[in-house]
Amino acid sequence: MRSLAGRDVFFDSEGFLVDPSQWSEEMAEQLARETGISFLEETHWRVIRFLREYYLQNGRAPLHRELKKGIGMTLMEIEALFPGGIKMGARLLAGLPNPKTCGM
Amino acid sequence: MREKLAEIIYLDNAATTFPKPREVLERMIDVYAAKGVSPGRGGYDCAQEADELVSGVRQRLCQFFGGDDPDRVIFASNATDALNLVIQGTVKPGGHVVSSQLEHNSVLRPLQHLRESGLIDYDLIPFDGQGFIDPDDVSRAIRSQTQLVVLTHASNVLGTIQPIEAIGAVCREKGVPLILDTAQSAGVLPIDISKWGVSAMAFTGHKSLLGPTGIGGLVLSRSLEVQSTRFGGTGIDSQELIHTQTYPHRLEAGTLNILGIIGLMAGLDYLSAQGMESILLRERALAQRLWEGLAELKRVKLYGTDRLDRRLGVVLANIEGMIPADVGAILDGDFGIATRVGLHCAPLVHQRLGTGRAGGVRFSVGPFNTENEIDQAVEAIKKIAEFRRAG
Repeated sequence: MRSLAGRDVFFDSEGFLVDPSQWSEEMAEQLARETGISFLEETHWRVIRFLREYYLQNGRAPLHRELKKGIGMTLMEIEALFPGGIKMGARLLAGLPNPKTCGM
Repeated sequence: MREKLAEIIYLDNAATTFPKPREVLERMIDVYAAKGVSPGRGGYDCAQEADELVSGVRQRLCQFFGGDDPDRVIFASNATDALNLVIQGTVKPGGHVVSSQLEHNSVLRPLQHLRESGLIDYDLIPFDGQGFIDPDDVSRAIRSQTQLVVLTHASNVLGTIQPIEAIGAVCREKGVPLILDTAQSAGVLPIDISKWGVSAMAFTGHKSLLGPTGIGGLVLSRSLEVQSTRFGGTGIDSQELIHTQTYPHRLEAGTLNILGIIGLMAGLDYLSAQGMESILLRERALAQRLWEGLAELKRVKLYGTDRLDRRLGVVLANIEGMIPADVGAILDGDFGIATRVGLHCAPLVHQRLGTGRAGGVRFSVGPFNTENEIDQAVEAIKKIAEFRRAG
């Protein structure tokens, strides 16, 4: 557990939020600074918001093709947008849970 | 109505071969439609015919794998299930098992469970930088309490084929049964357990045997006794409350997966018609093309031996500075290429390779891949590595 954006939050060993409902935009900004993004730009927010909205609506992260179509960017571009990439960057900042499949 | 075949380049055949030959699937439907009753149960002719079909598949598998008794071909759900059966049915309290760091969790977890239950202890021998176990290490690890040696025939991460004949000779000399995990090799490599001194092999039907998921089994040599670890109906000796102790019923309980068994039969027929060696040579040629293509790329690291004659069609790779999960996602989402990323249920292999928690990207070829698909995979990795560097 650590204090982030004014509240106590539980993270797993890889830094993913244990409870996605604890997520806030302030939290994403602080986590972004820790991963080397000094300022989350609109493109970052587009990815983060899509991931969150999809997750909250469907109970799972989008499929790769759904993410690509939903954002209108290639996965290569999304990966390059976040220093941590897709999993450890975009997904983590969006407060989605750590995928359980090994290595994902 | 037929579903449309997925429009992907499928390079995850080490997980399960896909697609299955149409001949296998159609034969499964036809035979199951005609004979899909409970084999060996009931006094009617169709049940007898179903039982004969099952016995015939036992006979064929026994011959295919060099077993010495068709009644010691035991059906299970898959290789993991079969390994659980043989390991738990063989070890005794206070015993010791030798295995290796190359193993899948299908071996590691049963052993760990038995250790934590206080029943046995085990040692895992290492593999070398090329991905091979040394038979001398097996010899050194065997001690007076050793009850089993359990090893993979071919690594599911690196594809490296282990020197089983030499290890079998060591085990025979020391009088310790050798259990072989053939999840990756059965159906693509020749296996002769009698000649190699293997006491039991666990196989799965849905990989190179080209059958469906949900069927696998054990081939036991007459020299190995395995205790029942699950109990129930066998269709014979029903008046007894003690589970049937003759093989194969001793290790089987409940109605058999006859659809899966028909699939195994159809898979064996397909292999026989195509020639297992020609499939192996083709897969190796594709793996070599993939290896050579990837080896030329900057920032791409490959693992294990480059001796393609000593491995299956499995290639493990990483792109410097990228996590494998993201490379797999990009391959899928941007290029339509299916691979398996992560630890491949073999955490100790990655620990030893230094690929840690993230693992790697595994490409595994199957009988239906083409040179063009391999070239597309190489080109995709090239683009991903170059895009990341430019970014």
